[in-house]
Amino acid sequence: MTLPQTVPFLGWSWNDLLFLVLATALLGTALMVVLGRNIIRSGLWMIACFATLAGVYALLGTPLVAAAQVLVYIGAISVLILFAIMLTQTKGGPAALVFHHQAWAAAIAAVVLGTLLALVVTSTEWPLAGEYAATSVRAIAQLLFSDYVLPFEIVGVLLLAAVIGGVFLAKRDEPRDEPHGERPE
Amino acid sequence: MPMELLVTLVLALPIAGFGLTALVGRRLGTRAWIVAVPAIVVTWAIAMVVVWTALSGGFGTDGLHFTLYQWVPAGDFTIEANFAVDNLTAVLLIVVTTVGMLVHVYSIGYMAHDPGRWRFFAYLNLFMFSMLLLVLAGNFMLLFAAWELVGLCSYLLIGFWYPRPSAAIAAKKAFLANRVGDVGFALGIFAVWTTVGTLNFTDAFERLSEGLAGGQIEAWAITGIALLLFCGAVGKSAQFPLHVWLPDAMEGPTPVSALIHAATMVNAGVYFVARANPLFSLSPEAMFVVAAIGIFTAILAASIALTQNDIKRVLAYSTLSQLGYMFASLGVGAYVAAIFHMTAQGFTKGLLFLGSGSVIHGVHEEQDMNRMGGLWRRMPITHATMLVGSLSMAGIPPLAAFFSKDEILGEAFKNGFLWVWLVGIVVAALTAFYMFRLMGKTFYGPSHVDPAVEPHVRESPRSMTVPLILLAIPAALLGLVLGLPFGAGLIGQWLEPIFEEAQLNLGLHHEPVQILGVDGVLILVSVAVATAGLAVAIRLFGFHWPLRGDDTEAQPERVAALTARAPRLYRASFRKWWFDELNDLLFVRLGGRVAHFIWWFDRAIVDGTVNGIGDVVQGAGRDLRRIQTGRVQNYALGIAIALIVMAGGFLIVTAR
Amino acid sequence: MSQSLDSYLALSALLFAVGTFGFLARRNAIAMLMSIELMLNAVNLAIVAFGAFVPSLRGDASVIALVVMAVAAAEATVGLAIVIAIYRNRRTPLVDEYTQMRE
Repeated sequence: MTLPQTVPFLGWSWNDLLFLVLATALLGTALMVVLGRNIIRSGLWMIACFATLAGVYALLGTPLVAAAQVLVYIGAISVLILFAIMLTQTKGGPAALVFHHQAWAAAIAAVVLGTLLALVVTSTEWPLAGEYAATSVRAIAQLLFSDYVLPFEIVGVLLLAAVIGGVFLAKRDEPRDEPHGERPE
Repeated sequence: MPMELLVTLVLALPIAGFGLTALVGRRLGTRAWIVAVPAIVVTWAIAMVVVWTALSGGFGTDGLHFTLYQWVPAGDFTIEANFAVDNLTAVLLIVVTTVGMLVHVYSIGYMAHDPGRWRFFAYLNLFMFSMLLLVLAGNFMLLFAAWELVGLCSYLLIGFWYPRPSAAIAAKKAFLANRVGDVGFALGIFAVWTTVGTLNFTDAFERLSEGLAGGQIEAWAITGIALLLFCGAVGKSAQFPLHVWLPDAMEGPTPVSALIHAATMVNAGVYFVARANPLFSLSPEAMFVVAAIGIFTAILAASIALTQNDIKRVLAYSTLSQLGYMFASLGVGAYVAAIFHMTAQGFTKGLLFLGSGSVIHGVHEEQDMNRMGGLWRRMPITHATMLVGSLSMAGIPPLAAFFSKDEILGEAFKNGFLWVWLVGIVVAALTAFYMFRLMGKTFYGPSHVDPAVEPHVRESPRSMTVPLILLAIPAALLGLVLGLPFGAGLIGQWLEPIFEEAQLNLGLHHEPVQILGVDGVLILVSVAVATAGLAVAIRLFGFHWPLRGDDTEAQPERVAALTARAPRLYRASFRKWWFDELNDLLFVRLGGRVAHFIWWFDRAIVDGTVNGIGDVVQGAGRDLRRIQTGRVQNYALGIAIALIVMAGGFLIVTAR
Repeated sequence: MSQSLDSYLALSALLFAVGTFGFLARRNAIAMLMSIELMLNAVNLAIVAFGAFVPSLRGDASVIALVVMAVAAAEATVGLAIVIAIYRNRRTPLVDEYTQMRE
């Protein structure tokens, strides 16, 4: 069975439909993240948001970025955040205090900012923009290990430093006077 | 350079003595004089060598000039520490070092029981250094420095007994009155610098007179400079209207009164005007002012001295009066006579003050003459020396001040200043009167000494009487040595070359004295009035003559009757013509009002503005601080708004 | 629509605005960190979109996006560690109560 060239009844290309669906889902999940009163649900909606974005990357023809999005954001960062939520969760926190006093000002600012940014990017003529095309993994790999090898290494060092720093910061201070050999062998 | 070295030593020894005494004097205890007095004695000896060389013509007519070092080298503006020794300096050196030395010796005895004696000797040495520097200075700047230094020493020594409030106040009064004059003096020096660009005496006077002759300098400028400089002399020599400080300066120890406030420092003004004779003689107006202020001070002070009861104050007013004479003499162009009188007065008044100190010491620190009397038997040496001094002061021949005073009056008459002569004659009579009123109340007349003290009254120790005797010699003989023959004495030979230019400027020429003509008459007149004044005083306050036994008892009534005849005059004299009250009204009350207004202006307007700015800033800070909430999200909102502005701006710019 | 750069950029702008709102409005420190992740993702989306449409940027954009992800991971690690450390001391995850150093 093959799909028709265009979406039935609407006359859109399937890619357009896919974009619309993904864009709606992306913005919807993102709004759920920032508006949700329950912080755990916010974290879960964020995973959904990251997954949708991976879809958008795939639609843009960059499967490697999409894969990295799934691995890094969903696999690493989201899990990290969920752990942090569990560690800092206080029971019985008043729900009314989810938002800041300046929430209304923030809402107006965000709406205006979003509108303006959207207007700016759409009203700008992008002179270099050409045909839409997919990016091959091989090309990325070649670039990453030739022209961008130094940034790549630096990012590696940065990640290592961040891991060490994170462990150091989050580590509970050992009480000095506690004897060490207390645990049974 | 043996002479230069000697002059430098004359300055170096007193300052070295000051330094040593100030450093170790406290440990010396009763021997605090052990450094200070020998230093001055050696200084005196060296100074006499210098004086001898100068007066015997060893330095030529221009005198000895030398530069010790560059004091202020500042580009084009250099001030050298240069010194000048000519005959005028030499005469001053005689007075300063001789009286200074004798006062130092006298102070050994006078200050023997004072716990602050090491301080006293240190100050005295510092004063000697300052005064010698003043006399030797070869330029205005150095002179000004010395001028201020002697003022400082005067302040320190008047206020020597500073726990006594009256002494502290008198010291402040002297300092402030001097300051008023010194402002004018400093302005005068500035004017000299801006006009001729040099501060050296010889160069400055030369250029000023050349400038006036060549037309580059206006006559009024010369007069202005002269009068500004004269302000300093008025302050330092306590002339009207700045005379008020000198009588109060008697709060200091008596040796100080003798040295600083009679014989040396107060003469600085006279010395300076004489030194600046080429300048003053260029301006007849300035000369007139000098003469007028001088003779007015003379009569004013003499009239006050008539009724004062404090022995030292009578002498202080007498000093004022004599200084007035000197200025009058300078003003009429009789420079030699002025310096002559200064020398004679320096020794005589030094003697009188030291004698009064001896008396005060004898009657246990009593200064009121109403509580003295009949002391001549108990203090014979003091009495004899003071009698010499008083006779000299009164102008009785052949003592020192007779010659000098007579020369002043004669010159004033012959130079055409008849009014100066007339007032001067009156002053001469008053002088004789108040001097013998002092002698009568102190040494003769009935005794009013405190009965508890009277048995203990005896002659002062030898360290005090020996200086008295030594001072009595010049007070008696100076006139004979320097002043004879009339008009052609030694002093004239020494000093006339120095004042030659001034005499030329003034159009005066030296005439031979006609002892059988006009001069003889003038001498007779002045001797007659002096004798008359003396006789009246003796009759009112002196001995009761053995011939008229009941005379003494009648004396107080006679004095009372005389004062009752002119009560206003008596009160005016007794209250010193209300000058202190006038100053109080003018400066303390009125000045206080002005100062109060300025204070208010400062508080309300100036401070108000400043504090207002401060309050605005503080208030703004306090209110703006609320922006700094410390909450990251408030700041982030700011970033977001800025981003909106930027994006909006970009949109507007590209849309156009 | 899916063939137009503008639509992706607009989507990126809207996602960024949503993240901004979250960062400005939420009181919970972890929620704020999540909002930052959303904003970073919006930027990443813009980068990748440029890579897809601008031929000269094709490979580079993907590399940059990958680097951004790595940096974001590092940032999340450190940020969450700080939040946990503060939480341990202050017993609250609410940012507006962190006023210790205000004055």
